[in-house]
Amino acid sequence: MSNVDRRQFLKLVGAGGVGAGAGFMLAESIKHPVEYLIPYPIPPEEFSPGIATWYNSVCGMCPAGCGISVRTREGRAKKIEGNPLHPVNQGRLCALGQAGLQTLYNPDRLTGPMLQSGERGSEEFIQTTWEESLATVAHRLAAARDGGKNIYLLSEGVRGHLAMLLERFMDGLGSEHLMHYDFAHPHALYAANQRLFGEHTLPYYDIRNTRYLLSFGADYLSNWLSPVHHSLGFGHSRQGTDLDRGRFVQIEAKMSLSGAAADEWIPARPGSEGILALGLAHQILAGGAYTGSDFDDWNAALAGYSAESVAERTGVAAKTIVRLASEFMKAEPGLAIGGGAVDNHSNAVDTLVAVNLLNYLVGNIGKPGGIVFNSDPVVGGPANNRQANFIAMQQLAEQARHGAIDVLIVNNTNPVFTLPHASGFREALASIPMIVSLSSFMDETTTMADVVLPSHSYLESWGDDMPQPGLGFPVAAISQPVVSPLYNTRATGDIILDLAGKLGMKDSMPWDSMEACLKDGWRQIYERSSPDASDFDTFWRDVLVSGVWGEDIHRQDTVVVDKSVIDNIDVAEPEFSGDSEQYPFFLHPYMSTAMYDGRGANLPWMQELPDPMTSIVYGSWVEMNPATAQQLGLRDGDLVSISSEYGSLEAPVVIFPAIMPEVIAMPIGQGHSAFGRYARDRGTNPLQILAPLTATTSGSLATHATRVSLAATGRRAAPVQTGGDTRQLGRNIVQFTGDDSSAGGHSANLNSIPIVVKTT
Amino acid sequence: MNFIDRFMASWRKYRKPGYYEEFDYAWTMTVDLDRCTGCGACVTACQAENNIPIVGEKELGRGREMQWIRIERYWEGEYPNAKLSFIPMLCQQCDAAPCETVCPVSATYHNQDGLNAQIYNRCIGTRSCAVYCPYEVRYFNYYDHHWDAPLEQQLNPDVTVREKGVMEKCTFCVQRIRQAKDHAKDDGRRRVKDGEVQPACVQTCPSEALTFGDRKDANSVVAKKMNDPRAYHVLEETNTLPSVVYLKKVRANAD
Repeated sequence: MSNVDRRQFLKLVGAGGVGAGAGFMLAESIKHPVEYLIPYPIPPEEFSPGIATWYNSVCGMCPAGCGISVRTREGRAKKIEGNPLHPVNQGRLCALGQAGLQTLYNPDRLTGPMLQSGERGSEEFIQTTWEESLATVAHRLAAARDGGKNIYLLSEGVRGHLAMLLERFMDGLGSEHLMHYDFAHPHALYAANQRLFGEHTLPYYDIRNTRYLLSFGADYLSNWLSPVHHSLGFGHSRQGTDLDRGRFVQIEAKMSLSGAAADEWIPARPGSEGILALGLAHQILAGGAYTGSDFDDWNAALAGYSAESVAERTGVAAKTIVRLASEFMKAEPGLAIGGGAVDNHSNAVDTLVAVNLLNYLVGNIGKPGGIVFNSDPVVGGPANNRQANFIAMQQLAEQARHGAIDVLIVNNTNPVFTLPHASGFREALASIPMIVSLSSFMDETTTMADVVLPSHSYLESWGDDMPQPGLGFPVAAISQPVVSPLYNTRATGDIILDLAGKLGMKDSMPWDSMEACLKDGWRQIYERSSPDASDFDTFWRDVLVSGVWGEDIHRQDTVVVDKSVIDNIDVAEPEFSGDSEQYPFFLHPYMSTAMYDGRGANLPWMQELPDPMTSIVYGSWVEMNPATAQQLGLRDGDLVSISSEYGSLEAPVVIFPAIMPEVIAMPIGQGHSAFGRYARDRGTNPLQILAPLTATTSGSLATHATRVSLAATGRRAAPVQTGGDTRQLGRNIVQFTGDDSSAGGHSANLNSIPIVVKTT
Repeated sequence: MNFIDRFMASWRKYRKPGYYEEFDYAWTMTVDLDRCTGCGACVTACQAENNIPIVGEKELGRGREMQWIRIERYWEGEYPNAKLSFIPMLCQQCDAAPCETVCPVSATYHNQDGLNAQIYNRCIGTRSCAVYCPYEVRYFNYYDHHWDAPLEQQLNPDVTVREKGVMEKCTFCVQRIRQAKDHAKDDGRRRVKDGEVQPACVQTCPSEALTFGDRKDANSVVAKKMNDPRAYHVLEETNTLPSVVYLKKVRANAD
């Protein structure tokens, strides 16, 4: 076996077996009762029982694209850690990334292809074979293509070569209906960047080098864009340099994890954040920080945003506005970001343009500690141009209702769960004659499928990724199988290639496997870079070992803002569904690290990870201000009914000290009606009662634009909370010091406290 | 010398800082509260590394949680000036550990690295140690725990799976420390290098709030952090001489 090198080994692992009889342990142990202690009777060269093998790959739990190193022992994945070489996460990983192992070894994974045998949604399926299921799908697709009927492909946001494969596949089918759908995709941020900077991309936000961060609603430490990278930057800015400690200000209606970490949390009326940003811009102009030639134009455009008028419209005190602007101006440098709730109001694009404007006015563009634009991804064109906003999803539903969709292929995305009831999406699916789902789990959307093609988890698949947002320089990473497939599943890329072969698309997709496709594509990367490697095979092996590739290329940008932007700079008052009399509260649904958009709910580690702000495990709840609770006569644990114009649901009350009295907040992620034993029938899904309002111009769902009413049910259902008292009660467990740390408190001479043991 | 005097003499010796000075290492963790964001990555990393079971909603509702490291949260003030602070709480690996003196069967003891170790198969489950622990970081197995197949394939072979009636707690990832020592020995080094070993929580911390090392090595990162004026021990007045050092959270002076 000494001639089996690493590359071949990986190939073997990827292929799912090392010859007959010496089958890879994992797959075999599922199929047969025989248990092998050591999976290889004759192990490959680099493999020793009892010694861990690490594989570098890419995390697939959220779109941030962190690099991972997976520790395997005897062919089983044991632990995921961050890949220290990957510039996004630099060896670190969030809780959801750590829990990726539980998607791989989840007891509720789909184990083989299935056909719906009962009614849609009944979850009655019969097992079938790959040959049969793929033939069925290919036959159906060919008939639709030849008959000129519409084929839709709705995928999670994919990047790199898988994105390219999907493009070519849909081209081959003569269909333009390739849509990516991610609930958390920041449509409004893209639209705002387009308007102000002319770039329909995400720039790199250099939190690491900023000294003053103004975050408008962006929960950048928990789920916004690239939380691990932001956390690294946060830690560094706070305590990692000899410069002044970085200061963080969070402006939002309900304190998020990032709000708790901030030095200052400022509640602003929901949807008024952009008005506040323009108020700050007004102050910055007045303070003389901006010296551009169009100063007068800006000054005129922002004349209506004096501190007093902004204070009235936002609920933030005028003197706070003046102070924030002055601090932001003086910071070297300051950075303003916007996301979360701010990305999800009807005026989101205006708001985010206003937030971007702050960076522009203080000259932050293209500078360390500011906003750095990325070059195009290494593979494919500009990323994420396929992302479907809410309007596009509604159009899909509309087309379906009109019988204009013949086949819908869904790839690992769950719109039935994340779209509100009012969108009618689930019902519209009934009018589509054929739904094919590629998924690892029986999620809500997959229950509606006629053919289920179970896909590999990301730890079993080949793939590659160009992280979005990028880091200001090109980065690409390879995702490789770290274990052999557990079940009779296939990688998404391989399924697409197989179908493409059956449909006669060999010309545009000549590869037999995703791995071959990747290798072909990475040849271009090899050729464009000038690597140390002598030939491609060496380069390929090096990339597999390091898991990541990068180039030291940086864009030099100057942004020119044209007059039309200046003239149109304005933030409209946000629109809400429901009148304020009948529906007095703003519903604030929020994502968390653990559940993300609901994908974490089937992972027991995530169910048992206490929500950091409330210590609640397993379940849903509604957070409200103590004054609101008192006014309504509600206590912690009282079950209340929350109603919007579009539906109602029940959840227990949790009194939360840092939320505006007119706002109630609910976590997103629970309330699954399928998705396996850990997720199913647990808690409620606040997204279901949202109004189908969209943000102007970006067309994304305005998730924070729904007003609700509250009614006590008289019942109690206290959520399970870990931990003890939430106040320190003089115990001094968390201790504080002032800004000037040399003067802060007693300098603990640790371990030298005199010991007094009195004897009598 | 009467019994009481003898007892107090040995007690004093034991409670004195530096009692373990002759040991090879003094593993220490520092937690910078000004960096900690409370995200919980350490909690899940620990569960993955140390085969910590899922206890389920019902048992959690009875306060029978099982997380060797947890994020405690403390509120101050009222709206709109409410502030929330997080603190990761784990076994403090006390040099003068109250849990050690109370165990009737010496199932918990101090090892050569200054770690407060738990011998699972000696433990008879009196739970006295959990009562004595001022940090409440000891967790008891009320049941044999079950992993729904195939979740058990993830279990770390370097760490035991504990059974019913046994107390457990953070070990500073002793299996990683052992491995690092073995590596050092294989390389012909006498000591483990600074940064060579990291417990799972420290390894994953996204804001780099946690650091780990040997405080006997004056050049180690933790030794330097311990000299930071912000350094303190939680519940210092209990005189447990913890090996976990916290760095105070900085409160910016907002007006």
